[in-house]
Amino acid sequence: MTRFLSSSLLRTAALLLALTAPLAAQPSFSGPMPSTSPVSDAAARRAAYLARANEAITWVAGNTKYRTDDPANFDLAEVIAKMLLNQDLEGCSRRIIELMREPGHGPFWMFPTTCAAFVGRDRLSPEARDAIRQAWRTTRQMRGNTENHFVMYYTSLYLMTELYPDDPPESWYNGLSSAENRREAREFLIHWMNLATTIGQGEFNATHYIAEYAIPLVFLKAWAKDPEMSRRGQIMLDWIFAELAVTSLHGTLRGPHARTDEGSVIERWNAMSSHFNWQLFGNVPPPAAYAIWGVYFAFAAEHYEVPEVIYRLAVDQSPDFVQRDHKRTARRFRFDDREWGRTYKTSYMRHDYAVGSYQGGLVDPIQSHVWDVTWAEAEPRGKHNTMFSLHPHASSRVMQTYFATYPEPMVTGVKFEGKPSYDSADKVMGCSPYEQVVQDLDTVIALYDIPVGEDYPQVNGFFSKDLRDVTEDASGWIFARGGNAFLAYRPLAPYRWIPYRHYNTGWAKQPKELGGRLLVSEHLRNGTIVQAASASEFSDFAAFQAAIRALPLRFSLEPRPTVTLRTLRGSTIYMTYGAAPVINGRPVDPMTWKLFEGPYLNAELNSQRLVITHGKLTRVLDARAVTITDSVRIAP
Amino acid sequence: MIDLRLSRVLALATVGLLTLSGAISAAPAAPATPTAAPAYDFYLCSTVARHYIIGSKVVSANGLFRELPDGSWQHFGQADTTLTGFAVDAGDPKVVYAAALNGCWRSLDGGKSWQINTGWAITDGRDVAADPHAPGHVYFAYVDGLAFSSDHGRTWTKRETGLPSQANYVATVEVDRTTAGRVVIGGERGIYLTTNAGRLWERVLATSATVNDVQQSPHDPQEWLAATDADGAWSSRDGGKTWTRLAGVPHPGPLYNLSFDPTNPRRRVIGGWAHGALVTEDGGATWEARNTGLPQPALVWRVGVHPLTGRLYASVSGKTLYRSDDFGRTWSTDRLEGARVNAFITIPRQAPVAAR
Repeated sequence: MTRFLSSSLLRTAALLLALTAPLAAQPSFSGPMPSTSPVSDAAARRAAYLARANEAITWVAGNTKYRTDDPANFDLAEVIAKMLLNQDLEGCSRRIIELMREPGHGPFWMFPTTCAAFVGRDRLSPEARDAIRQAWRTTRQMRGNTENHFVMYYTSLYLMTELYPDDPPESWYNGLSSAENRREAREFLIHWMNLATTIGQGEFNATHYIAEYAIPLVFLKAWAKDPEMSRRGQIMLDWIFAELAVTSLHGTLRGPHARTDEGSVIERWNAMSSHFNWQLFGNVPPPAAYAIWGVYFAFAAEHYEVPEVIYRLAVDQSPDFVQRDHKRTARRFRFDDREWGRTYKTSYMRHDYAVGSYQGGLVDPIQSHVWDVTWAEAEPRGKHNTMFSLHPHASSRVMQTYFATYPEPMVTGVKFEGKPSYDSADKVMGCSPYEQVVQDLDTVIALYDIPVGEDYPQVNGFFSKDLRDVTEDASGWIFARGGNAFLAYRPLAPYRWIPYRHYNTGWAKQPKELGGRLLVSEHLRNGTIVQAASASEFSDFAAFQAAIRALPLRFSLEPRPTVTLRTLRGSTIYMTYGAAPVINGRPVDPMTWKLFEGPYLNAELNSQRLVITHGKLTRVLDARAVTITDSVRIAP
Repeated sequence: MIDLRLSRVLALATVGLLTLSGAISAAPAAPATPTAAPAYDFYLCSTVARHYIIGSKVVSANGLFRELPDGSWQHFGQADTTLTGFAVDAGDPKVVYAAALNGCWRSLDGGKSWQINTGWAITDGRDVAADPHAPGHVYFAYVDGLAFSSDHGRTWTKRETGLPSQANYVATVEVDRTTAGRVVIGGERGIYLTTNAGRLWERVLATSATVNDVQQSPHDPQEWLAATDADGAWSSRDGGKTWTRLAGVPHPGPLYNLSFDPTNPRRRVIGGWAHGALVTEDGGATWEARNTGLPQPALVWRVGVHPLTGRLYASVSGKTLYRSDDFGRTWSTDRLEGARVNAFITIPRQAPVAAR
């Protein structure tokens, strides 16, 4: 059952600690919403970026987590922060020696320790540096079993073997020399980068796991001696952050997600991704305690410069654009002849809301989120600003597909390992092999064909506590308002309401009622249609409802769910479960999509070349040539 | 019914050609008392860290354990929660291999120091087996196929010709102890046999669910058993060429592993989530679930049989290791408190085989 890394668990535990600390110590977290006006002055942008990093570092160094000045209680992050601020270096060395007496096992010990080793190169005592070095000799490190584990593991190993470049096999926990370890680490990292830049990222659009990539990559950028590897780190950071900028709604990342968690799929702002939007772009508050792991990015943030073109994508998006991307499933071990499944992601961004989806089916075994409409909130903290439906699928077959261990204990075990809702009928996170989705602008149709015998033969629709004017109309549509968005939700089968129960990410707890409801439709053949619009498009809510009622809609659920809908935007969608959807007479063929396609991000499949554009600014990331090229278009 | 090879092992032990570092277990009420010095060593791959996740701290008592003469378990090697298999090289008992999440670890000094050479592409190990007739020849089963080393695990090559091009998950590997290079593996799509050290595999049984374990009888090398995830248990009487479903074993229902009783040719046990410990004492004609005394439901993770005493073990998921000295009629907890055993490994003692 070692398959799961649950940094989310660690995060949750730390968050609990953090939330008991004085909030004043985290001014950006507790303060007002930041200004979202673009900052044109490069020096001012840079200064603000570094100030944000320094805020996080200062908070960690300020002992607010543990309310003590006793170095005996410092954790590794605290030691690193103090070193960066040149505080109590003797205490830091002593604490490092103590911490290294009981090293951890795996990437979540490796990357913080790598950070301590590099930050401490000229700050720690020789004895403390040796303690770190010896820990890498004595203690076996588990590589993990997900893509982010491997990236963290091999980046750490690469950097540590550069720091100690000529050490013999017996000086490393795995019996390989520095050169052998470095070669293997480099080979994997380049393999991963090639994969991500040819057919798309796995663990894409992750609300939390973005940190598990961004942190090792910023370390690579900062500390790799090999300039090519450092540049590769920069390219991948830009690659990931450009997408984060484009697909976040005013600093809040929304779906779909290869991986998310029970908290951030509901309270959309409360995610690690918001920490990165804050750190990089300053356009949203950071989560409590800087999302814990976020501080590790801050530790090396000075070595990364946010390209202006990416900054502009985050803070100065033109409204109403579609971005389509290729992504990749988690690696499949069984039941599929394809090692990686193709995933096709659509985002439609508007000022008041965003709609995102992938085509349905299995992407990641537990934590995927297939589609949603997320509306903008002037104050997103505490808001459940999203609407979606899903089939709550949990199965041993899925476990076997993605994991090596036996499925039966795993289905039970994951509930205790950071995914408490996995095997629950009323969960709101996860994907299903029995869901198919099509999106056209701000219309989503999700059809379900759930086989007899499924543990949870139902569709759950999430209706937030923050929706207003929820109206069950005689037409079958359910109307609601969220922020400045009007929403129409059409269940295709009878339903009932239950209170939404929130499964707090982390070790299993009793679910809590935080407000909101679930629409539960207990029918095997089923479907959901959602149409969104801006309030500003209609004279009032009633006018929106009238427009929706007037949309031509035909559907049947037998023998297979089938829908024909004329959308609010004038498209005609015909969709039968199991067949390619047809929009305006043309079958949707995502195989023809590019790796990235939209007004801001473009890349051909397999090209490894991402063109990032905003106004007159262009940055080309070429992961094959390992080059970064900036250009500014001169107006004629 | 003891086969020639076992006779040879016992004979070698008697004349002192073996390294007799162990002794007969002092465990009480052993049902079968050996009349010769131990001919086997008994190991566990075990973890005592419940609900371990990557990132958790690992206590030292995870990993490999060897049984001591007083019946207790001695930890050796590195702490590792992910071990799923263990093997000893035919040429030198100090050369050992362990299957783990990281890949295949090898030690050239009996477990004091370890090295891994399987790289990033060969990961999530499920099982490992050493050829008893070919020193240095090692087979490593992992989630994406089968890897082979002919140099004591220093270098590895994938040997997958005949396996599916994808979805070639291999869960278990067992070398036929009678013939060098004759190997049986079980995986996602059935049981495969090679007679040339994995250069070519032939599917000898197609299954509808993953084959989780394959074992060769210590009494009759022609007899093999296999346990599957949802396709029952299977038996071969011709060295793994043809297979017959064991009618007395319920299916579907996940069967995780199996063991012969080296002390009694009529006893076998199969463990699994749905049925607990399924035993036979009549050579496989009839099977019975013997779970009274185990925590209920008996979510058995692994079963094993002590090679010298016939003591039956059951590792129960989320609980601890249980043992039975009456082959499952009654159970009590073992000394290895809180253990979840990933593998019970019996290693026949033998004189080192000269390298070919």
